[in-house]
Amino acid sequence: MDTLLTRPLLFVGGKGGVGKTTTAAALAVAAASGNRRCLLVSTDPAHSLADLFGRTIGNRDTAVTKSLWALEIDPDQQANEHLASVKARMKRLVHPRAYDEIDRQLDLARLAPGTMEAAMLERVAEVMALAGTEYDQVIFDTAPSGHTVRLLSLPEVMAAWIDGLLGHRKRSSQLGSALRHLGGGRVKGDDLSMLDAASDHDEGSRDAQLSELLLARRRKFVRARERLLDREKTSFLLVVNPDRLSVLETIKAHDILTRFSVPVCGLVVNRVLPAEADGAFLEARRQQEAQYLTQIDEVFARLPRVRVPLLPGDVRDLETLARLGRTVAGLDISGGRPAAPA
Amino acid sequence: MTEPQSRFERVKALLEEFYVAPHRGAVARARRDEDDLFMLFVFAELMGVPNPAAYYTLELQPLLLERFHDWHRRQGLDHSPLDGFRCC
Repeated sequence: MDTLLTRPLLFVGGKGGVGKTTTAAALAVAAASGNRRCLLVSTDPAHSLADLFGRTIGNRDTAVTKSLWALEIDPDQQANEHLASVKARMKRLVHPRAYDEIDRQLDLARLAPGTMEAAMLERVAEVMALAGTEYDQVIFDTAPSGHTVRLLSLPEVMAAWIDGLLGHRKRSSQLGSALRHLGGGRVKGDDLSMLDAASDHDEGSRDAQLSELLLARRRKFVRARERLLDREKTSFLLVVNPDRLSVLETIKAHDILTRFSVPVCGLVVNRVLPAEADGAFLEARRQQEAQYLTQIDEVFARLPRVRVPLLPGDVRDLETLARLGRTVAGLDISGGRPAAPA
Repeated sequence: MTEPQSRFERVKALLEEFYVAPHRGAVARARRDEDDLFMLFVFAELMGVPNPAAYYTLELQPLLLERFHDWHRRQGLDHSPLDGFRCC
C-alpha cells in the first residue's frame, strides 16, 4: 500500500490557518518512528514549528527527537549569505576604493523585490535534495497556497531564463571561434576581440566561469523541478476545513497544482465536528458543515480523503501528534479512488 | 600565424586579409552585440528593467565588472547608470 509515509518527499499545503503545520508535524512524528530519519521543514515566513514543539529551531536542522529533525528556513539569512559571497568575489576584482560602493549596491539588491523568494527557492531546492539521501523522508509545511504555487512555478521560469542566457553565451562563443578562423583577430577598438586571443587565458576562463555558474544554477532548478513532479517519490497533500473560504481556496489550489502536474495525492479534511459534540449551537454548525463535506466529497471524489475531527484541546505533545499522524498517515494514496470514509 | 616566408606568401596573406577583414569586422560586431545583450540581461535590474532571475544573475556580475565600463559607454550612457556603482 502506498501511504503518505512511503514517498521520500511530502508537501503539506492549504489556506492559512487550516492546520497545515499541525498536520505536517503529526505526519513527521509518525514518519520518524523507529530508525526512520525524518526532516520537517517550514517555509512559511511566520514560522510556528518552534511554538509547536516548544523549543528553538531556526535555520539549521535541529534534532527534536532521536529520529526527527526540524528546520525553519530563514530566507533573510540565506540571501545575506549569498550576497556576502558575491561581495567577496567582487572585492577581489576591484580597487579597494570601490568597496563602499559595492557594499551599497549589494545592500540595495537585498531589498529588491523577489530576493527573498529567490533565496527561499534556492534553499528549498537544496533541502529537497536531502530526501532519500540524508533523510528517509522530508516533509514540507508550506506557506499558504498562493505563495507555494509561485514557488512551484519558479523553477520553470528560472530555468527558461537561464536557458536564454546560456543561448547568448553559446552564440557569443560560436562567433568567437568564427572570428578566430577569420584570422584570430585583435580588431582595434573592439574590447571583445581580446577574448578571442588564445594567449589571453584569463578572459577565456572567465567566459567558461560564466557558463559554469549558469549551468550549475540550471542543474539545481531542473533537479528540483524533476523531484517535485516525480509521481513515484513525491506527494502533495492538501489540508482543508469544512468551511466556505477554505473549500473555495482548496479548489483553486488543486486546479493550479494539477495544471503544473504536481502529484496531489490526498486531502485531509481537518476539524470536522465530532458526533459527540452536542448542543443546539453545534447542531446548527454541523448542518452547515454537512453541506461543505458533501461539496468536498463531490469536487474531490477522485482524491483519497481522510477526515480528522476537531479536538477538544490544543495539539502540543508528541504523543497526541503521533496519534494524529497515524490517523492521517493511514490514508491509502496508491489509487485514484477515494479512501474509505473515516 | 607564422611570418610570411616569400614574396608570394606575403601577397597571399595580404589578399587573404583583403577579403577576410570586412567579414571579421562584421563577425566581431555580431559577437559584441551578443555580449552586450548578455550584459543587459545581467545588469537589467540596475537599469530599471525587471529581471526575474536578478538574485541569481548577481553572482555573474563580478565576472563582468571589467567589461561594465565599455558596455555602458556603448549603450550611449556617458556615465555609469548605477548610482551606487561609479566606474567613471
